Amino acid sequence: MNSYPPKTGACTWLCHVPFYLAILLLAGCAATPQTEALLSGREEGAVLEHELVDVPFFPQDEYQCGPAALATVLADSGVAVTPKQLVSMVYVPERKGSFQVEMMAAARRHDRIPYRIEPELKAVMTEVKAGHPVLVLQNLGLDWYPRWHYAVVVGYDVASGDFILRSGDIKRRVTAFKAFENTWGRSQFWGFVLLKPGELPASGREKDYFLAVSEYAEQGTEEHVYAAMAAGLERWPESKYLLMGVGNHYARNQELEHAVMAYEKVLEVEPDYAPAHNNLAWVLGEQGNYAAARLHAEKAVELGGPYLEQYRLTLSELEKVR
Amino acid sequence: MLSAKMKRYMSCTLIVLMTTAGIQATANAALIGTSQVASEASVELQRDELRTLFAREDVAKQLSAMGVDPADAQERVSSLSDAEVAQLHDNVKDLPAGAGALGTIALVLLILILLDVAGVTDIFPRV
Repeated sequence: MNSYPPKTGACTWLCHVPFYLAILLLAGCAATPQTEALLSGREEGAVLEHELVDVPFFPQDEYQCGPAALATVLADSGVAVTPKQLVSMVYVPERKGSFQVEMMAAARRHDRIPYRIEPELKAVMTEVKAGHPVLVLQNLGLDWYPRWHYAVVVGYDVASGDFILRSGDIKRRVTAFKAFENTWGRSQFWGFVLLKPGELPASGREKDYFLAVSEYAEQGTEEHVYAAMAAGLERWPESKYLLMGVGNHYARNQELEHAVMAYEKVLEVEPDYAPAHNNLAWVLGEQGNYAAARLHAEKAVELGGPYLEQYRLTLSELEKVR
Repeated sequence: MLSAKMKRYMSCTLIVLMTTAGIQATANAALIGTSQVASEASVELQRDELRTLFAREDVAKQLSAMGVDPADAQERVSSLSDAEVAQLHDNVKDLPAGAGALGTIALVLLILILLDVAGVTDIFPRV
């Protein structure tokens, strides 16, 4: 599964031992299947080495790897910020660490979209190759004696089997694939890249991307959210979610014809998607095309789903103008 | 003190403002917003992840060993309600991948218990 709750702050020594991690230990040493696959050359078409030498480096103060790592990726993404400025946003003194959700929220507050990458070494390499340093959460200790730590992957070399990280007070920390798979794996492979609105991750999936953008949408400007959705549509032109997002943008801005096109495209992809029928009905109603609007509103009510009440409301509004 | 003219002007402005605000509210109330689409997408994503989990070789094997057809388990994921998907996903997402045989058994047991709780299976009888 690719989400992991922020049970503890990072950079700390804590003794939080969930029972299943004890099971993990009983089961013996963790295998590193990804490393084996990479090193035995079973992964075709991978670029063999790459390093982002220009990624800035902020040596961390005591325990404050969260602010340091976040400042590293933000600065690389063009946001002028120092770890000190981030401390109040992401550092919890009591925990001597930073929570994962807060790391992502702080990135959003700086107008960047944090995108959680797939839990794979290959995804890290793909992003680094595309110029995106990857912020990762590692457990440098053991499951029953954790030492959580945030670092930033800036390079890799398949020939020597190493990743290169900005980590703690070491500017170029070299970590073997195997060690990295173990330390990163203990956080369930938690890591993200930062995207400027309109920029796409090199790896990744449509739904994850849409969700990342929609979380960013809560504080991003209308134009930036639109840019992010539109960029996603270039890669995933049939994404019903991204089409809905773009359609809603047009509807809110009274660009009704564009909105109609977006919702109609959703219905081409998925004829029985009730929210698209509902929103199309609403826009057609705004255009004064009540007959067509009612048909779509009736279809939405017929299909039902969690937002049935809203579909009924749309229909009843349209009935009023009959 | 405000002049009578000023007062009239202000109340007119207020009436216009309040009416437009009213229209805006009804209008938006009927549009399915992007955050609503997102909450649906996130349930779908969790469902996908559960399917992937159930299809994992070690999990499928263990399910078979416990007498549950992995294909049935896949179908059960489709028939779970959104709330049940969220609950099941919440409970299994922390489990480590590739945790070895014991980890898989623990995982599958947990899946079965949770499916039971959700009323999808009925393996563990309540005495």
